[in-house]
Parts: sequence; structure tokens; C-alpha cells
Amino acid sequence: MIGASPFGRRARRREDGPLLTGNGVFLADLVRPGMAALRVVRSTEAHARIAHIDFGAVADDPDCVGVLSAAMLPAAMGTLPVTDLVAGSRPAHHGVLARELVRYVGEPVAAIVAADPYRAEDLAGRVTVDYDVLPPVMDVTSSTAPHAPLLYAQFGSNIVHETHQQVGDPQAAFAAAHLVIDETFRFQRVCASCMEARGAIATLDPGTGRQLVYSSTQIPQVLQQQLAHLTGISPQRLRVVAPQIGGGFGMKEAVYPEEVLVLLALQRFGRATYWLEDRQESFIASTHGREEIVRVRAAVTTAGEVTAVEVDCQADIGAAYLFLSNTPGAAVASIRGPYRIANFASRARSVVTNKTPLNVYRGAGYPQATLAMERVMDLAADALRLDRAEIRRRNLIGPAAFPVDRGVSYPGCGRAILDSGNYPALLESTLDAIDYAGFAARRAATAAGSALGLGLSFVVEMSGGGGGEPARIRVLPDGRLQLLSGVTPVGQGSQTTLAQILADHLGVSPQMIEVLPADTDQLAAAPGTFASRGATMGGNAACRAGDVLLDRIRQLAAELHGTAPENISWRQGLLLDRTRPGRTLSLAALLQEAATAGIDGAMRLDVSARYERDAVSWASACHAAVIDLDRETGVIRVIDYAVTHDCGRIANPLLVDGQIMGGVLQGLGQCLFEVLGYDAHGQPLTRGFMDYVLPTAATAPRFTLRHIETPSPLNPLGMKGAGEAGCSGAVAAIANAIADALGPQVAFVNGSGPFTPDLVLAMLREAGRHAV
Amino acid sequence: MQTHDIAIRVDGVELRASVSPRLLLSDFLREQARVGGVHVACGQGVCGACTVVVDGVPVRACLMLAIQADGTLVQTIASLPQLEGNEPQEGLTRLQRAFRHHHALQCGYCTPGLLVATAKFLATTPAPDRAQILEHLNGHLCRCSGYANIVAAIESVRA
Repeated sequence: MIGASPFGRRARRREDGPLLTGNGVFLADLVRPGMAALRVVRSTEAHARIAHIDFGAVADDPDCVGVLSAAMLPAAMGTLPVTDLVAGSRPAHHGVLARELVRYVGEPVAAIVAADPYRAEDLAGRVTVDYDVLPPVMDVTSSTAPHAPLLYAQFGSNIVHETHQQVGDPQAAFAAAHLVIDETFRFQRVCASCMEARGAIATLDPGTGRQLVYSSTQIPQVLQQQLAHLTGISPQRLRVVAPQIGGGFGMKEAVYPEEVLVLLALQRFGRATYWLEDRQESFIASTHGREEIVRVRAAVTTAGEVTAVEVDCQADIGAAYLFLSNTPGAAVASIRGPYRIANFASRARSVVTNKTPLNVYRGAGYPQATLAMERVMDLAADALRLDRAEIRRRNLIGPAAFPVDRGVSYPGCGRAILDSGNYPALLESTLDAIDYAGFAARRAATAAGSALGLGLSFVVEMSGGGGGEPARIRVLPDGRLQLLSGVTPVGQGSQTTLAQILADHLGVSPQMIEVLPADTDQLAAAPGTFASRGATMGGNAACRAGDVLLDRIRQLAAELHGTAPENISWRQGLLLDRTRPGRTLSLAALLQEAATAGIDGAMRLDVSARYERDAVSWASACHAAVIDLDRETGVIRVIDYAVTHDCGRIANPLLVDGQIMGGVLQGLGQCLFEVLGYDAHGQPLTRGFMDYVLPTAATAPRFTLRHIETPSPLNPLGMKGAGEAGCSGAVAAIANAIADALGPQVAFVNGSGPFTPDLVLAMLREAGRHAV
Repeated sequence: MQTHDIAIRVDGVELRASVSPRLLLSDFLREQARVGGVHVACGQGVCGACTVVVDGVPVRACLMLAIQADGTLVQTIASLPQLEGNEPQEGLTRLQRAFRHHHALQCGYCTPGLLVATAKFLATTPAPDRAQILEHLNGHLCRCSGYANIVAAIESVRA
């Protein structure tokens, strides 16, 4: 018998068994003896013309399987694919290997394939590349200055994209404003830092002899199409499998050069070939995140109503687009968050520099947008001597206002229309959770030398973008169902969640459902895993496929029983035939009946469906952070952290909480520790976890997590995404708390993190000078 | 290149191999011993994902050469029942069950090394306070969980 509905239960994960026992199959676990190892020769210069590549005697070494350079690639081979989410981007696209110019340290120049990875590294070290060094541009300001060196001479500019949007009449609002806030926020470059770096293997599928690529990718189906296209083979000849993935966070959402190179090595040299990124390499070879300069102007009335926002966002995208061109657009479209703000104007630019390409990283624009908006709210409140919670109350969109058309388009997702939410309830819940009312007393009781600060933030976030989602269900011989899902396993627990959702939909126990992440043979045309889409899109797709399955089951049973499908009903995994009262039939028995009748029941009950939706749903969250700032050492500790989150109906609160806590720590890392530095010559200063400081357990705050469920009207399950809300709101809440702790004499907390102890001490010294 | 003959007992199985002197223990365990759960994440000894126990001492397998481990006893995640000193139930030790119950893992890449190190930690410090747990965890990076559930899982099994 089925107990309570599986939907909404804090079910423990079915993924955990193999992962806890060391039996999880990650990419490196698929490397087999005899496979050749590929090593990439990478540019050591930030900007240079390649004069000559000298392989010397490398190719003659007995351990060398083959070498590759751009000159050896087919002339017709295209550049790596870029999805232009906002029209009008200049094609700052790169090929698999640099042909004439290198534009960042780490850009692939050549590849060595050898008998083992140690020998591949030796041989790669013997390749000499002569460069004619060109002056690099290392930031937005110098890149957009007159007479700046150009990365792409043919464009005549380093600005590769610019869009403008406007809503209402911002000019009039500014003219009528009582107060204008004008702040510029500089977001440093950070690294997603998945614990598993990237990797790819190309081999022959033992069963079929077809080409088989394993990749630690969030987008296996997309990768299959693009690899086939780039290497000039039919997609039917190529199978792509994403194994268990050790964290993605957007860094594994691209078609990368190395995935093409291992396949080329297989095709050219006839040897199964693998590439495993090492950590040092990862910091220059995998996409970076976040770097933007965001200037915000806000028009505020005497009552604290923000009537207009003007935003100018310039993203430093590095040397090329890699897979997506959208981050400034995302920040711009969402910057008004939960606030009414009727008038709006924006300029969003993408600027190229001589750094590793930048792409989406968990939150993709929201952390920046949220910080800018939430700092503006605090600054306006302080200027008007209003309570910081009260100014937010006065500006929040009310719960009865939905749907709310923001009048702007969101990259790749059409018009931004907020579908549901209860923002005031989120705010009040979070204020209660962090004991906002009691904070003044708590602060007063703090020991000397320590400064407490409380910061609030609000994030409203698009979820489930990226197009329709397929799902397929098969019936196994023992009568259990097997759901093949396009959601790739990056750690989010989709196998558990999707089983709960489908079990609830079909009225069966989750134990009756096996969930498998699908490879390209099992499921075609899945968009992949990103943009907080897994549960919403994968869940709704599973339910669609479940509906198709039930129809087929009824048809098959009716056919076998010589009756009409209407006479067959389905209850808790069993079939009842109205013409045969008192008897129930399991799916296993149905398959046996079919087999007896000479019918392949498993084939008849192998169903696919696709869930399409017209608009994305918008999740929301209110965050609050309490920090303790040590005035002697400059060390900031986040002590308490509260989030009230609304992702609509929740399939598994345990896993949603896990997503939020993990996301908050990533935001905390960005705000306090993490930075990818470059020197003036374009040499990266950050090459490992020794100098790229990640949050540790001791830096984690005490969490209070709450949920409010306002179902999305846009999908049958009423769900909204949950993967990014923690990360998107945390940078802002912590930055606001830092500003609060430092007090009004330190006018500056503008997002130019990370707020390391030396920066904090410098700010305190600066404040001290002003106070004298 | 010259090779050296080594013998290492890995999870109770004696392995003999002729290896290059520069072969890392992590690569030996993965590629030649073919054990699961030795995950290389940073290659610099910072993150703890490749932690194994060598002659009773937790080490970062990415910082040790295979030839240095010649003649030793190496215990990986497969030896967790011995390291923890309890019998698995339904295939999981007490610590593994606590991690599962508290949702202390997401992608799971850091998990085996963390479990091995934590089992050793609890063997020497059976009743750690919170500060001791945090100090122990400082040697392990996890990018997914936010750590709170890891701390809760360890607190739930301390004496």
C-alpha cells in the first residue's frame, strides 16, 4: 500500500549508495588500460601572433601517438558553437586550436596524444611555440579606451555586444526625484571550482563499433550534435554519455575544445583517447564567471519609493564567447528584482579582454544584479533615515499583482513576466527568522573590537529556461518503470526527485520507479541541465510521459482482454478491468499476458513525451545575513544566515535546502574569499586551491531555512527552480551586512570583493582618517 | 624509463607492480589497483578528496609517490568498515548512513576522501566538540553541500 504522497517528502537520496562507497562512476573512472592520453599545449602569452610551432622530434618518440595543431585540422572545420541569446553579437568565436593569434593564457595551441599522461605531459613540454607578443588589454576600461589594442581587428572595437532597453519614462522620474543614488559596482572574476575538473574520453562503442564520447558535461545531447557537426560525421555515428558529474555550476555547460580534440584523436590515430583536466589547467582552460562593472542610478521619492532605475552593465567576457552570450543581459533584465520600479533604462555591453572566456556560473547575472539593487535600497534607506526593511516593504510588488510584465526581454526566454510569488510574506518571514527586531540589542551587547552587521537581500530569478524537455519511460520485465531523463546528474539528486514526482503522478511507490540519466542513444534533443530547470522541466516531462504510458497500458490491456480501454483503470500500479471484477493485474503480469499473445509488451510500453512551455517561471527568495567583523584582524565571519524561499511546490525539501545552503556558501566565497587575478601582462595569478581560497566548514554560518509555496501557474506541477537562489542572493546579503557593520563612516561597500582581511583593514583605516 | 618493483597491500589485497618512480600513489591506486573512490580534485594536497590511509595515517594520495608506499598497508573507502570498526548495514557503515540521512553529499566527489579521514578522526577523537569537528573539516573542500549537513552528520555519530 502507498502511504503519504511521495511528493514533498524529505526522501533520502537513492544516488547516495554508490557515491558513499566509492562506486560512483565519474569520468576518470571510465579510463581503461590501453587508452592514450591527450595533453594540450596552451598559450603562455595573453595576446600574440603565433610565428611558428615546432614539434621537434616529438612525433617520432615511440610513446607519441600523434600530434594536432590548427594547420592539421580540416580547413572547413567551424568554430566552437555559440548560442547568441541576444541578437546582434559580433562573432568573437574561437576554433578548436588557435590558428594565427592567441588571445589568452591557456588558449589551446596544439595537442599531444601519447601512451600515458606522464609521457604526454613530457612531450607537450618539448613543443616550442614562437610568439610575436602583442599588447594585451586586461580590463573593461582599457579595452574600451580609444586606440586600445584590438582582439578582433575586423570588428574595429572590443565591444562585441551592446543592447538597450527602456520601460516607461525614466528621465521624467529622475527629474522628479527627491534623491538620486548613483553607485558603481565592480565584480571580480571567479571560478566555479567544481571539485571534479573537466574531462573527456573518445572510444569505440564495443557493442556497435560507433564512436563514443564520455564527457563531464551538463549538456550531452547538445554536445553530440555539435561534435558530429565539427568533425564532419553523422550524429547517428556518435553516442555521447555524461557519467556522474562532480559538480557543474555552469562551468560544464559549453562545448569545449578538448571534447573535440579527443574525438579527433580517435578518428585520426585510431586510438581511444582521454583527457583529464588538472586543477592548474582548469583555472585557465574552463570558463570563468561574474566579472562585470555595473553602474546603477536610482530615482527615489521622499517616501522611499524607487521610481526609476538606470543600469549600465559592462561584462568582461574574456577573449571569446564560449557557448553562450548573455550574462550582462541577464543582470540587466532582472535587476529590479521584487520591486515595482515602473521606469527603467539599461545598457548592457560585452567587452573582450585577454583572459579566459567567461560564461554562466551559478546565478548567471543574478548575484551582480541583486547586489547592485539591494545596495541601492540600503543606501536610499540610510539617506532617508528609513528602516531598511521598511523601504523594501514600500517597494515590493504585492501578492495580488501577478502576472507582472516587466516590459523587458530576458535573454533566450522572451519577455520577462513574473508569474507568481508572495514577496511581502518572504520578507516578513526572513525578518522573523533572523530576529531583525532583536538585532539592535544583540549588536549593543557585542564585545569591543567586534562589529556586527545585518544585511538583507531579495532575489527574483528566472528558472527553467532553455526550451522543451523530453522524457521516456520503459516498463522493465519485473513490472517496474524506468524513467530516462535528460537531466544530467551534477549532484542535485534528480534521480530521487524525479522518482518522487512521477510516483506521485502515477500513484505508485517511488520504489517502483528507476530513474536513469539518458545518453544520446536513449533520449535525443534534451537541452541539458542548467538554469534551475531540472526538477521543473524534468518533472513535468516525466509526468507527460507518464500520461502517455497510462494510455498505452490501458490500450494494451484492453486489446488483450478484448474490451474497451475505458474499462481498464489504473490504481496504485495495478490494473483493474471492469469486465473482470475482483481481479487486478500487475504490469509484470500484463507483460506476460502480452508475451503469451505474441505481443512485445515492453516495446509497446516504451513511451516518450516532450514537455513544452510558453514562459519561464520566476522563483524568489529573501535572504538575511548577520556577520561579525573583527576590527583588529579584519576577518569577517558570517554567523547567522536566513533564507525564505519560494520555488512553488517542493518535491523534496531536504534537497532544496541542500541546494540553498550550498549556493549560499558559493555566494559567501565570492563575497569574502574568491578572486581570479591577472597581472598587467595577462598572466593568471591564480592557479590552484592554494591561492584560490574556497569556503571551508568553519566559514559556514548557522542556517535558518524556510519556504513559502506559491505554485507557479505556468506548469502543471506548480514548480519553480531552486538551484541558484542561494548563490544569487548571498553576495548581496553579506555585502549589505558588511556595510552595516562598518557603519556610515565607510561609504564604500560596492561589491568590489572579495572582502579579505587586508581590504577590510584598509577600509577601516580610511574610515579612521575621515573621522579625525 | 627505469621502473621499480613495489608491493602494496590495498584494502587487504597484496598488489605487486613495476612502476615509474614518478608515478603518484593516487594514479597507482586508480589506474593499476583500480580501486574506486580515490578522487583527484586539486593535485596539490589542498582539498582532501584523494585521502587514503597509509599504515594507519591519513595521507593525500596525490602528494605521495607509489614507490614511497612500497611495503605499506593502504586503506581506501573500501576499508571504511575496518577504519570505523563497525559492520555495514545494507552496505553502509554508521558514518555513511549518517551522511545519507543528513544529506551531507551532493555531487559526491569529495565524499570518499572525507569519509576516510573522518573515520580516522573519530577513531582518535570519539567525542569531538563542534570546534574540533570544524578543525578536522578544514582540510576538506566541498563545493556543493554548504558544509552544515556534513557537520550535522558527524555530530550525529560522535560518542
